[in-house]
Amino acid sequence: MSSLYLALRCFECLLATSLLIQTLEFLRIRSVQQTDGLWCWNVQRGDVAHASTLVRKAFDWLFSEQIHKAHLLLRLATAASLYVGSSIVSATLLFFSTIAILIRWRGAFNGGSDFMTIIALTGLMIAHWGQFAVSPILAWQAGLGYVCLQTMTSYFISGAIKLFSREWRNGIALPYFLDGGIYGPLAADSLFRKRFIAIACSWGFILWECSVPVVFLGPTVAMVYCAIALVFHLLVFVFFGLNRFVWAWVVSFPALLYWAGWQ
Amino acid sequence: MPGSRGRQGHPRLALHRNELVTSTSPLTLALIAAYFVFVFGSLLLRGREVSGPWWYLLRSFFPNWRFYHGFGSQPRLFTRTQQPDGKWSEWQLFMPRAKLSPRDLFHNPRNNLLLANQNLVDHLAFDIQTLPEQQSASELVSYQMVTRLAHSLVKQQGLTGRNWQFQVAQVPPLQTPNESMTILLSPELQA
Repeated sequence: MSSLYLALRCFECLLATSLLIQTLEFLRIRSVQQTDGLWCWNVQRGDVAHASTLVRKAFDWLFSEQIHKAHLLLRLATAASLYVGSSIVSATLLFFSTIAILIRWRGAFNGGSDFMTIIALTGLMIAHWGQFAVSPILAWQAGLGYVCLQTMTSYFISGAIKLFSREWRNGIALPYFLDGGIYGPLAADSLFRKRFIAIACSWGFILWECSVPVVFLGPTVAMVYCAIALVFHLLVFVFFGLNRFVWAWVVSFPALLYWAGWQ
Repeated sequence: MPGSRGRQGHPRLALHRNELVTSTSPLTLALIAAYFVFVFGSLLLRGREVSGPWWYLLRSFFPNWRFYHGFGSQPRLFTRTQQPDGKWSEWQLFMPRAKLSPRDLFHNPRNNLLLANQNLVDHLAFDIQTLPEQQSASELVSYQMVTRLAHSLVKQQGLTGRNWQFQVAQVPPLQTPNESMTILLSPELQA
C-alpha cells in the first residue's frame, strides 16, 4: 500500500468522524433554531439584510425548519460515506454544506474547529477538483499539502502570539484562562496556580507550538510531535470542553505525517 | 472521471508515485523556514483589518489562530429581576459552566451551545464599541439575540412574570465587576 494512499484514507476516515460528531451535535440542538428559539432565523436574517432579495429568499428557504433538518441528514449521510472513500460529489457537497451551516451560526459555531474543518474540506476539494488539471497523485499531494501547511501555521501563530504577551510569558495568563473554562474554575489548590508550574507549562506550550517546523526533520519527529499534539488537544478538551478541536486537528495529522516524509 | 477513486484508485496513485519529489531537500527546508519567518513578521506588522457583513459571515475562510492571547477585558452578561416588593435582585453573571464527562469528547452539544451563546455576548460587545453614533444598539442582530439569551436565563431561574433587565460589562482580568465597567444597560423589560 502506498504511503499516499494510506495517508488519504486515514484523512478521509478521520474527517468522516469529525464531521459526524459535528453534525450529530447540530441535529441535537436544532430546537434553539426554531421560531421561538434563541437562534431563530427570523432574527438572524438581519445579518443578510444587505444581500439581494434573491439571496435572502434562498437563505430563508435553506434555513426553514424542514429544509435545514433535511440538509443536516444529507450531510450526515455524506460524511459517513467518506469511510468508504470520498468523491468529487461528496467533497463539494460537504464543503458548501459547511459554509451554509456556518452562515446559520453567524460565521462560526465553535471558532477554531470551524476554521480547521473548512481547511480539511478545502484540501479535499483541491484533491478532487485538482484532478481536472493534474494527475490524481499530484492533486492529492496538493490537497494534503494545503492541509499540512495550514495546520503548521495554526500551531505556529497560536504559539508565537503568546510569546508577545507578557502575561503568558510570566505565567499569569494560564490560570486566568483555565478559571474561565467551561469546566472551571480551577480548584483553589490546583497545581496550575503555583507560579513556577504555570510559567513552565506556558513556556512549554509556547515553545512546542512555535517549534512545529521541526516535523520536517523526519517521520519519527513528526510522530512524536503529533502524539504531543494529541495530548495537548485532549487537555484543551478537559479544561475548556472543546471536543470538536480534538477531532478537527486530528484530521490533519495524516497530512502532516505524509509531508514530513512518511513515504 | 477525475475525482472518483474506487478500486482502481490505489494502483493509479501508485503508478504516479514518483511524480513529485517528496524528500525534504535543503531548498525545501529553506523555503519552509522563509515561510515561517514571513508568518512571524506578519504578526509583528499587522495591516488594516478588513470588515463587512460577508467578511463576518465567511470569516472561517480567514482563520484567526490567536487563541487565548488577549489578557484584556472580557465581555460578560449579567441579568437581574425585580422582586415582588419592587426591589431589584443582585446582578447574576452568565458564565458557561458544566461538569466534565468523558462522553463529551464524542457528543457535546449542550456545552458547545453554551460557548456559542457566550460568543454572542462577545460579538454584541464588539458591535457596541464599533456602533456608529446615529445607530441604536437595539437595531443590532447581536442585541436582539442577546436579549433572547438573557430572557432565557431569567426564565431558567423560574422568575417569570417579573420585570427584568440585562447588562453587558467589560470586566478586566482579576477584577470584581462594578458599574463603571458597564457598556450596555438594557431598558427594564416585561417578562
